[in-house]
Amino acid sequence: MSDTITNILLVGVGGQGILLASEVLSETFMQAGYDVKKSEIHGMSQRGGSVVSHVRYGREVHSPIIPEGEGDILFGFEILETYRSLPLMKNGGTVIANDLRIPPPSVLLGQETYPDDLPGKIAAMFPDSLLVDGQKLAAEAGNVRAANTVLLGAVSKRLDIPDECWIKALEKMIPPKALKVNHVAFQLGRSL
Amino acid sequence: MLLLGNEAMAHGLVEAGCNVVASYPGTPASEILSSVAQWRARYDLPMHVEWAVNEKVALEIAYAASQAGLRAATAMKQVGLNVASDPFMSAAYLGVKGGFLVISADDPGPHSSQTEQDSRLMAMGAKVPVLDPDSPEQARELVKVGFELSEAFEIPVMLRPTTRVCHANQDILPGPVAPSDRKALFEKNPARWAATPKFRHRLHLELEEKLAKIAAWEPTAPRLLNPAAPARRAIVASGVAAAHAREVLNDLGLRETLPLWQVVQPYPLHGDFVTTVLEQYDEILVLEETTGVMELQLADRYRVKGKRSGFVPEVGELSPELIEGLIASFAGIETPEAPAPAAEGGRRPTLCPGCPHRASFYAIKRAAPKGIFPSDIGCYTLGINLGGVDTVLCMGAAVSQACGFYHAHKIGGEVPDIVATIGDSTFFHAGIPPLIDAVVQDARFVLVILDNATTAMTGNQPTPALGWGAGGVPTATVNMEGLVRACGVKFCKVGRPGNLPAFTDLMKEAVAFARTDGLAVVIARQPCVVDRTFKGDRPPRRKVAISDACNGCRYCTTQFECPALVYDEEEKRVAIDTLICTDCGVCIDVCPRLAIEEVGQ
Repeated sequence: MSDTITNILLVGVGGQGILLASEVLSETFMQAGYDVKKSEIHGMSQRGGSVVSHVRYGREVHSPIIPEGEGDILFGFEILETYRSLPLMKNGGTVIANDLRIPPPSVLLGQETYPDDLPGKIAAMFPDSLLVDGQKLAAEAGNVRAANTVLLGAVSKRLDIPDECWIKALEKMIPPKALKVNHVAFQLGRSL
Repeated sequence: MLLLGNEAMAHGLVEAGCNVVASYPGTPASEILSSVAQWRARYDLPMHVEWAVNEKVALEIAYAASQAGLRAATAMKQVGLNVASDPFMSAAYLGVKGGFLVISADDPGPHSSQTEQDSRLMAMGAKVPVLDPDSPEQARELVKVGFELSEAFEIPVMLRPTTRVCHANQDILPGPVAPSDRKALFEKNPARWAATPKFRHRLHLELEEKLAKIAAWEPTAPRLLNPAAPARRAIVASGVAAAHAREVLNDLGLRETLPLWQVVQPYPLHGDFVTTVLEQYDEILVLEETTGVMELQLADRYRVKGKRSGFVPEVGELSPELIEGLIASFAGIETPEAPAPAAEGGRRPTLCPGCPHRASFYAIKRAAPKGIFPSDIGCYTLGINLGGVDTVLCMGAAVSQACGFYHAHKIGGEVPDIVATIGDSTFFHAGIPPLIDAVVQDARFVLVILDNATTAMTGNQPTPALGWGAGGVPTATVNMEGLVRACGVKFCKVGRPGNLPAFTDLMKEAVAFARTDGLAVVIARQPCVVDRTFKGDRPPRRKVAISDACNGCRYCTTQFECPALVYDEEEKRVAIDTLICTDCGVCIDVCPRLAIEEVGQ
């Protein structure tokens, strides 16, 4: 186990299940024997605002937040939030994002327009980026609500963590009746 | 197990055999009490755990248990401590019997608060020792240390976590739960517990003696985190800034050359430590949130670099990247490149789809288009997006400010319509005394109590009207209408905002009454859409669709601002986002062209 700390940012909009996904990640790293710290901001931002969760693991982690410019993996739940969070990433980092648009209130009100070609802009800055149609793949797995697990599968492929740790964490964190669909969704993401 | 900082502190409380815990919810402290209630139920512990009506009441209840010899704690956010400051200051003089812990969670940033105030400064003002954890695990440990400190010196102790401790998660191996076998026994001693000013003078002397001893108490003494070679400079850090600093020293390769002292008790700062640090080092960098409390006690304005000296920013959170720059500059090494600022296009929070408050604000605006709208602390602060909120000061201030606006305008003879909004939990917390004032002083305005049957913003804690308390245990109830009428209010009517036409009529009636007769109270009663604890009947569902009559005028998206109403740029008309629409059907009565139609249940 090396001394380096791996920094994963999860970004999206309140209500998208970011907290659960960050708990599954943390549980996985704990299963693999790492020290884990994770943090996010609760409160008003959860009412449809931006949500950012920081997950850090390594041999020993002191600080619960990722310094700007030091993110290793950006796990995006919404494409605009993913784009906005790029400055948190280190050069050459990995971006894995759901290709989903949730217009912010200013766009709904017609004050601003949703920016064009975000996938292209992201790929130009981060060659190692993967856009996933999470909803479509989740529907294939059996439930459109399992989109986050598809993404989690895609993230898992970029991390050197044994398979069984992911499976154990999913089994611990996901309610039994939803487990089967989530297993399928996870494997779909892992095959991307 | 992965524990949230607040859960870790809660577990520390049950490990320490704490018998009484009282709290009022407030971000970032809310999960402390709900977790205690869970542990209490799981281990069947002899405890009283309650959501109190406000922080002052919570602190006084816990304090009395301590006077009776039990271990007791109260938890709140930092502005909650303002509400509880009266008993807090006095309890410092009187002292305690059983260990007494005041957990006051600060919010540097601020992320979810009105101010960035530093509770440690309040502790210093009250002359109460304060502990400042750097992580969930240390917070759990300091709960137990805090009780020992409190009992060793018969003094209240503050534990001051920040957002990054409360809402950080860490893998923690909790200690064994130790149910207390203490029995409450209040020993009468009026000269102490009811001390008159003459005795208070003596108690103040005793308090100073206690503080001097606490400033030499070994278990909370500062720790050198990196036994480094003799150095000319050193860092003194507390709270999460110490955790950041530890990693920054590793990253900058300064671990072996720049000593880092962690202070867990920023007040009173240990006397020997102050002497040593000032003698040993030429320059000292102090990293702490949010005010320079340690810096004030390391009084040497030439050699101590911190907030007061201007070296460390006074405003905002001390982020790891900021600390990296500060340490690099302090150590005289090249400052790392500043990261690029975040991209444009922020996403402001908004009321949930189907939120009853949206309908209430829409009706208020129709009933009093030119009104003044004082509001209060809660989700409904987001009514600012709808133009229904003009002021937000602090808990309960909507009612008193409405009084103030009335009296101020009345002097000049022209009183505008004034419609104040306050949530149900906030009304019970701090809205009743100003309501009595309004009645007595004949202040004429409309008070709308937004009764969504929960404390929504902080995670759906109960209110006194619901009949259940912390952990779901049954409680007695208080009837809101009865309470309002008992305060002397003549006009008190209940309506359901989701029935928009009827509720708008009720609002107009209330506004007319306030113009001619006096204070009117409208209770806007409809359950919170995201409250999973709600047990009653929900309003009927009314599924909607947009008809071809929509001409894309955007009245609904700009005036009603429901996230489920989406303007489609290509079609030049509005569409319903059926994934998030709750079928509340309120927008049917919003569209001026009647293009939003009900299409079944």
